[in-house]
Amino acid sequence: MLISDLPSHLRDQWPYAPKYARVNGWRMHYIDEGAGEPVVLLHGNPTWGFLYRDVIPPLLKAGYRVIVPDMIGFGLSEKPVNEHAHSLDGHSANLAGLMQHLKLENITLVCHDWGGPTGLSYALSHQDKIRALVIMSTWAWPAPPAEFHTRIFPWRTMHAPLVGPYLLGRHNVLAGRGVYLSVVDREKFKQRGMGAYEAVLPDPASRLLTWTWPRWIPLDNSARANERFRWLESGLSRCKLPAMIIWGREDEVFDAATFATRFKKMLPHAEGPHLVTGRHFLQEDSGPEIAALVLQFLKKLPAR
Amino acid sequence: MTPRIKIIEAPALTGKRRALVLMEDRVGHYPEFRAFFDRSFDLGRVGLSKPGYVCAPSSMVYELCFIGRSGEAFPSGVEISAIVDALEPFDETVVDRDLWEILRWMIEGAGAPWSVEDLDATGKLYRIPAAQ
Repeated sequence: MLISDLPSHLRDQWPYAPKYARVNGWRMHYIDEGAGEPVVLLHGNPTWGFLYRDVIPPLLKAGYRVIVPDMIGFGLSEKPVNEHAHSLDGHSANLAGLMQHLKLENITLVCHDWGGPTGLSYALSHQDKIRALVIMSTWAWPAPPAEFHTRIFPWRTMHAPLVGPYLLGRHNVLAGRGVYLSVVDREKFKQRGMGAYEAVLPDPASRLLTWTWPRWIPLDNSARANERFRWLESGLSRCKLPAMIIWGREDEVFDAATFATRFKKMLPHAEGPHLVTGRHFLQEDSGPEIAALVLQFLKKLPAR
Repeated sequence: MTPRIKIIEAPALTGKRRALVLMEDRVGHYPEFRAFFDRSFDLGRVGLSKPGYVCAPSSMVYELCFIGRSGEAFPSGVEISAIVDALEPFDETVVDRDLWEILRWMIEGAGAPWSVEDLDATGKLYRIPAAQ
C-alpha cells in the first residue's frame, strides 16, 4: 500500500513525503516535516498518521519539526500477518528504533489510544530524550481501562477467537464503522476521513493488529501486559516531565471524568485536562484546537 | 435461532480443494473457546492426527485444522477451510454466511457469559450482512 493508492480527495489531505526506516526488522513508514524542536505524534488502533492531518499544519507553521510514524501493522508501515509478531514491548521498542534512527532529542511526545502505552513506555525508559508529554484518550494502568472493555457486548465478543478475524478481518469493522461510531461529526468523518483508514487495511490479513490490540488490554491479573502496565503506572506517578492532558468531551468509552482525572492524579503538575469536542478519536473533530493547545503549552515551557 | 452446524466424518476429497477462509492464531485467548473445540472434536485423544469437519447450512463442508504451538495448550490456533470444487471459485457470500453460522455455533458451545444473542447484536451493530 502506497500513499499514491489513496483516492485523490484523501491524498490531498496528506501532502507529505513518505519516509521509511527499518526498526527491529520491520519497515516503518513515517513523515518528518519541518525543522526545529521535534514533536512526535502517535496514533493507536486502528488509525495511522492521517489522524493528525489537521494537527500537523499549525505545528509546522509555528516552526516545529513534526514526525508522525505509522505503528508497525498500521497505515503505510509493514503489516505482519502473525499475531505473535505483536507485543506491547515490541511496539514500544519499534518506536525507540525510529527515535534512535532519527537521533531525536528534546522530543514532545503526543500520545493517543495505543500510542499511549507504547509512547509512554518509550518516554519512561528514555526520559533524557523527552521534552514534554501530551496525553489524549488513553490509559496507563493494569486494571481494565474502562467498564466498556469488560462487557461481552460488544467489546469482548468483537475480538473473541475467530470472531475477531471475521468481524475485524474479513469485514474491517473497526477501521470503518468502529471509528465512525467514535467521532462526533459522523457525516464529516464519512466524507473526509473514513476512506483513509479503510484503504490502508485493504485485505483481511493486513487488519490483524485491529483485533490483536484489543486482546492486549488487561482484563484480569493473568493478562500478558500486566507487569508493563504496573511499571507504567508507577513510573508515571513519579514522572516530573512537563505534561498536558487533552480529552474529548463526548468520549463515552475513555470518559474524561474517569480517565483524564486519573492521569491528572498521576501527574498533578500536568496542564489540563483540556476538554475539546470529540469522542475517542478527538483529532477528527478538534484537530486545529488540539494543535493550538499543544502550541500554547510548548510556548510556556522553560527554555532548554 | 439455534445455530445449524453439524459435525461430520471426513468427506471424500477427490476433485476438491481446501480454500482457507478464516484463521485464528490464539483460540485460547478466552480459554472456554479452546475448551469447546477440545470437547467437540475429542482433541485430547485425537491431537494433530486428523482435522475436524462440519457441515454448514448451505450444505458446504468446512475443515477445521487445529494448530499446536510449543509452550501453549493445544490447540493454540485453528484454520477453517471450505471444501470446494478443485478448479472452481467459490461463492464468497455463501461462505460468509456459513462462517457466521459457525461462529454462532462456537459461541453457543463456549457457553455463558457468551451468548448467540450478543454475537447477533454485535453483528447487527457493525452491519454484517449475515447478521441482518
